[in-house]
Amino acid sequence: MLGYIKGLVELVKGLGITGKHLGKHAVTLQYPEEKDIMPERSRGVVVLLSDKEDGSLNCTACELCMRACPTAAIRIIAPRGEDKKKKLELFELDFSLCCYCGLCEEACNFSALKLTGKYEYSTGNKDDLLWDVNKLQDVGRDVDYVDKRKKKVKKVAPKPTETVDSKPKSDEIKTDKIETKPSATENKTDKIETTKPVDEKPKSEGEA
Amino acid sequence: MTDLRTEEFDINMGPHHPSTHGVCRLLLTMDGEKVVKVVPYIGYLHRAIEKICENRTYAMCIPILDRFEYVTAMSCNYVFSLAAERLSGIEVPERAEYLRVIMLELNRIASHLIFFGTTAMDIGALTPFLYALREREYIMDLFEMTCGQRLTYNYIRVGGVSKDIPEKFIPQCKVTISTITEKVEEYKRLLNKNPIWKMRTIGIGKLDADLAIAYGVSGPILRASGIDYDLRRDDPYSIYDRFDFNIPVYHNGDVFDRYMLRLDEIQESCKIVAQALEGIEEGPIRAKVSPNFKPAAGETYTRIENSRG
Repeated sequence: MLGYIKGLVELVKGLGITGKHLGKHAVTLQYPEEKDIMPERSRGVVVLLSDKEDGSLNCTACELCMRACPTAAIRIIAPRGEDKKKKLELFELDFSLCCYCGLCEEACNFSALKLTGKYEYSTGNKDDLLWDVNKLQDVGRDVDYVDKRKKKVKKVAPKPTETVDSKPKSDEIKTDKIETKPSATENKTDKIETTKPVDEKPKSEGEA
Repeated sequence: MTDLRTEEFDINMGPHHPSTHGVCRLLLTMDGEKVVKVVPYIGYLHRAIEKICENRTYAMCIPILDRFEYVTAMSCNYVFSLAAERLSGIEVPERAEYLRVIMLELNRIASHLIFFGTTAMDIGALTPFLYALREREYIMDLFEMTCGQRLTYNYIRVGGVSKDIPEKFIPQCKVTISTITEKVEEYKRLLNKNPIWKMRTIGIGKLDADLAIAYGVSGPILRASGIDYDLRRDDPYSIYDRFDFNIPVYHNGDVFDRYMLRLDEIQESCKIVAQALEGIEEGPIRAKVSPNFKPAAGETYTRIENSRG
């Protein structure tokens, strides 16, 4: 009997705690009417950015984002023209594949694409999730961004600096490995050497 | 009156939808309401992530590994990065280590809050679920502010972290930590002595120490069975050896002890985050690692204390 009374008292105490919240404001928002402000770094819809002055695409068709994408959501076709410059023929982003990891934005050296705080683009038709370059650009027109590009005069400059940076990196890593494994057998050193071509990959991409 | 003829019968339980907890199929042989035999079928959550990762670079793997466990994706990020760093001997900058510890512990709190809320909800108390998710939201806000996502962070990378914290992170984090410490006390007041809660948790799902070890249980469930083993202290990784925190241990191994242990762990994690916020200094957040980085061929084994064991 005493146990029941004690239990009832505790139940009432618990109700008291929930009762304290009665007069308080709700922490939730009534979504379609009220909307939360998305933080600056939100990773929502991917958009293509346009130049702030002339409104042309920032994309140089270097294909780095396509290579960085873990789910192969980006598809770029950019054949070299007669002047040996790449010309963007097709840029497609499949949002049914995109995982919003942001690696494409990090890979891009030309502020060409960005993950924004925009959302609400769900659709009943899966084909509508394949956005082409026009749609990506239109959605991104009002997006503010920090331009990472060097000025047009120095456009050639970033490429050599990249390759210079990547060389010592790979060297450092290699020496570290050898130092940490003083008892490394010949086989192991062979393996380290075999990684060389892999390290050289980014260089070739940079040049391309 | 003649005896009724009875016979055993089979019931299929599950498989449930992947978004529900613990997907498996149980083939139950029943004698009335008594389970006589169980044949479990597991593997419904196997998504061949290892195979997917085989033909991707290390940077590409991390967002995929987020999906291993979306409640504490930071740990999945971290354990993979740690393995890659150990293989290639990359030194992680000091500030990055602090940021990692802050994020890992915040994520542990978020995960334990999910445990607290959903367990209470499944038992029949809806209020704790609402409270727990409200507090978790503060942590999600911090993550969103830092890396832009709420569940699949892709934040901890090989060699450091992807982005530095924004300016208002530290003050907001301090407020969050103090609110959560307070609220945990409230949770305890709300449920610990509640007779319904006690009846439904004390002595239920008992797992004693020997059985827990035999089953290979780890994390909070192991500690609730009376074994004092926490990798943050016993096999320190990152900079956990610099912080002062306790490791709660309970001895009954039932649902109630696991619940108490997790609430205590939330408070300990709050302590760690508070200390880390004090100790953090300016500096680089990422070692120089090429995006197409690949360590030398070799083998390594890393283990960390995940919030779910």
